[in-house]
Amino acid sequence: MNSKPDVWQGTLALMVLKTLERTGSLHGYGIARQIEQTSADLLKVNYGTLYPALLKLEQEGYIASHWGVSDNNRKAKYYELTRAGRKQVEKEAQEWERMTEIVARFLSPKEGLA
Amino acid sequence: MRKLRGWIVRFGSLFGKGRKDRELQEELESHIQMHTEDNLRSGMTAQEARRQAMIKFGGIESTKEAYCEQRGLPLLDSLVQDLRYAWRNLLGSPGFALASILSLALGIGANTAIFSIVNAVMLRSLPVKDPHRLVQFTIDGDGTFTNPLWEEIRDRQNACGETVAYSSTEFDLAEEGERKPARGMWVSGDFFNVLGVQPALGRLFARDDDVHGGGKQGPVAVISHDFWQTHFSGEPGVIGKVLRLDRQSFEIVGVTPQAFRGLDSDHGYEVAIPIGCEPLFHPDRSSLGNRSTWWLNILGRLPDGVTAHQGSERLKVVAAGIMQETLPGDWDAAGKQSYLKQRLQVVPAAAGFSGVRSQYGAALLTVMTVVGFVLLIACANIANLLLARAAARRREFSIRMAIGAGRARLIRQLLTESLLLGLLGVPAGLVLAKWGSRFLVRLLSTAGDPLQIDLSLDGMVLLFTAGLTVGTCLLFGLAPAFRAVRVAAHEALSLASRGTVAGANRFNLGKALVAGQIALCLVLMVAAGLFSATLRNVLREPLGFDQHKVLAIEIDTRQLVPADQRIALFETLLQKVRQLPGVASAATILFKPFSGSAQNGFAFPDGEDERDTRDSRTWLNRVSPGYFKTMRATILAGREFEEGDKRGAEKVVIIDEKTARDYFGTQDPIGQCLRGDFGPNTKGRFLIIGVVKDMKYAEIREPKRRTAFLPMAQNGDPSPRVTILARLAAPPASVIPAIRAATTEARHGLSVSFGELETQISESFRQEKAVALLSSFFGGLALFLAVVGLYGVTSYTSAQRRNEIGIRMALGAQRNAVIWLVLRDVVVIISLGAALGLAIALGLARLIASLVYGLSPHDGRSFLFAALVLSIAGVLAGIFPAWRASRLDPSEALRCE
Repeated sequence: MNSKPDVWQGTLALMVLKTLERTGSLHGYGIARQIEQTSADLLKVNYGTLYPALLKLEQEGYIASHWGVSDNNRKAKYYELTRAGRKQVEKEAQEWERMTEIVARFLSPKEGLA
Repeated sequence: MRKLRGWIVRFGSLFGKGRKDRELQEELESHIQMHTEDNLRSGMTAQEARRQAMIKFGGIESTKEAYCEQRGLPLLDSLVQDLRYAWRNLLGSPGFALASILSLALGIGANTAIFSIVNAVMLRSLPVKDPHRLVQFTIDGDGTFTNPLWEEIRDRQNACGETVAYSSTEFDLAEEGERKPARGMWVSGDFFNVLGVQPALGRLFARDDDVHGGGKQGPVAVISHDFWQTHFSGEPGVIGKVLRLDRQSFEIVGVTPQAFRGLDSDHGYEVAIPIGCEPLFHPDRSSLGNRSTWWLNILGRLPDGVTAHQGSERLKVVAAGIMQETLPGDWDAAGKQSYLKQRLQVVPAAAGFSGVRSQYGAALLTVMTVVGFVLLIACANIANLLLARAAARRREFSIRMAIGAGRARLIRQLLTESLLLGLLGVPAGLVLAKWGSRFLVRLLSTAGDPLQIDLSLDGMVLLFTAGLTVGTCLLFGLAPAFRAVRVAAHEALSLASRGTVAGANRFNLGKALVAGQIALCLVLMVAAGLFSATLRNVLREPLGFDQHKVLAIEIDTRQLVPADQRIALFETLLQKVRQLPGVASAATILFKPFSGSAQNGFAFPDGEDERDTRDSRTWLNRVSPGYFKTMRATILAGREFEEGDKRGAEKVVIIDEKTARDYFGTQDPIGQCLRGDFGPNTKGRFLIIGVVKDMKYAEIREPKRRTAFLPMAQNGDPSPRVTILARLAAPPASVIPAIRAATTEARHGLSVSFGELETQISESFRQEKAVALLSSFFGGLALFLAVVGLYGVTSYTSAQRRNEIGIRMALGAQRNAVIWLVLRDVVVIISLGAALGLAIALGLARLIASLVYGLSPHDGRSFLFAALVLSIAGVLAGIFPAWRASRLDPSEALRCE
């Protein structure tokens, strides 16, 4: 077993949203694979945790779902961003950037204190 | 915002769970399939591909669980689960469920019915501006004032802010003949203004409408929304129309909104006119300047932050001046002295006025307590049934606890079952409440004057019902729930839930509940006994006359007939009535018995000093010749009035037995004289010509009052109103048209109304009837419930003791001994319950003293009778289970071990 970092709770939502923004409509398995590929297989997504996260996003109205047919003719549930979801991606991305910026200052303190 | 949306969606997902579960299953399945296919493509074997997909996914079941938690609301979810389980459980024992729901429905319904009346007449605020700052003025505790007093209070700046005056009355809408009554109000000019009532149409009164004899626009009237709808079919053109009231014309200037029904919660008003218009009806005897006619209620609106108590304190400052200004000049010195000493006060009046409240307040609260007790008894039964069920389900609970269910969770589930019972009882209860409260209002209404109490379910009533339901559910559900859970897991399992000797002890709580039921039941039965005896006493009370088959014809001459022609007119009318077929005899009387109108004055034996200290208050009535014969009253000595006793002849009087005894003792009063003072025109010396047996004057429960009868014809100041009492030999309906024609023939425009004396008198017992009926009904119901409870608990315990009894019988116990074994418990329960009940009843009896008549509220016979009936019923309820226990086949009882 190789030790890949688990996805943080809060960031999974952002990754899902961002993935859907890029790919349009996609099923749960596809989203999980996309996240892994985007992270160049550096992240390990526990596929099981993905579904409650998708449900939460759907309840909050950021994504919508419908049943469709996959490339190899399999029935699958597809997710896509709603208008509110698009706005939310931007908002969360900005927040994330601000957050990492702040954390970065702590990690390189000389610059931060200058 | 988004969060809220999330919660709403989650709430919505409580429904249609099965479909969503399937969808999730499909979604996860497709996920694994796709993953497996990918793995296949990358070269794995079929088996390995699927295995890796499953590993990568993690626990499917835990995913589902996490998903479901996110999907719904876990707490609510488990509540729904509890409710479903409870529902299935109830369906499992429909008899228990039905009995519980019915008794709850009855209890909740009866309580809600009475509370909705109590709420309407005692609690609900008037639909006016700031009802909580309204106060009512009282003078020595009484709420009526003279007009001079009112004007003095109105015109003085006082601590009670703005003030209004009001008096309810009845107007006659008919131009002639039979009365068409309309409920009226006399109001002061500021009335609507101060109460914050806005017109629905036109305008309401202003100060300058309320001027003696009519304001700037002449006599004006405001009508209620209901009256507008019923009499003018809601036309907007009603403004400016003329309304005839008591033969006088009033211009309608406005309509009040539908919500405003006046200040009386028993009746909606129909027509309001300014107090200043009063002289139009009585030009010769207006009440406006009269300092001894008490007819107006006064309301004030306290300024912000002033309490009623502070208001009363501030009134003290101005009271002396007000009293001095309005002192009646014609009163004697002692009377004036006590007039000046009267105290002005204000009391909160947010709920308005209610005759029902003042007349039946005590009765309503008593009945409310009675139905509250019935509900408690019903609760005890349900609690007992739940206890028995809990005992039977001990095994289930111990298994559930053994596999990890928390106590709290189990208790919650048991309480959910109780709550479900309550919730199912509520709808039926509300329907019962609606019928019940209407029935009650009908019980308290009279034929001629139905109560119009607004019984709509307002927030207060619903809150009451909801609180009552939850309260009762907790009451009967909590103890059994805790009891059930207290049974430790290991104990119940090892006992194998078998009835052994221990079973007898376990049911002590149940026995205590039944003893409590018996106690409450006894209280209700004592009350039922006392109230039934009261009704019997009231019905048996001698009236002194025979009220059957007597038609009362009330005649009002309005302003048509000058005072000096009235006596002659009344005599003509009486002659005409007497000659009609179907009339056996007839006579006139000034104040019809039980009419509520009365007059008193002072009378004492001639020759005694006027300043004698003895109480000389005497009631007065005026009657025509033939009155005592018509009423079948007993003349004890002397004679009845005759045609010769008229104006100018010697002034004569007939006194009743009590006056004769009080004033003359054993002497013969006939031929002696009475000196009387019954007002300016009725003063002086009267020759006693007869003594009549005591007759009830105004009500059945009055103490004997001294009464003097004077001849109608010798009245120096005849009233415009009179009642002809006619003893009929034919049904009233066949005589009334002829009487109607005869009065019109005698004089056009007379106002007439008819009523049967018997009905009117029996209606005066309606409180006694209602209380006796309700307390007997609920007493019977309580007895039934208590007997069922006793039967239930006895059957249950004797079934629990099957083994014990079997062993005893196998060892040679006789059947009688077995019966006694079971019955002994019953006797103990009844004795304890009855002792407790007697103590409670003795404590409470004092509170119902005002509702009891002709016996003491501690009447031994009622107490004894109730205890006896209850004991017999209780023992009978115990005998059947005891007998069944004694028929037990010992070998069979032991074999089922």
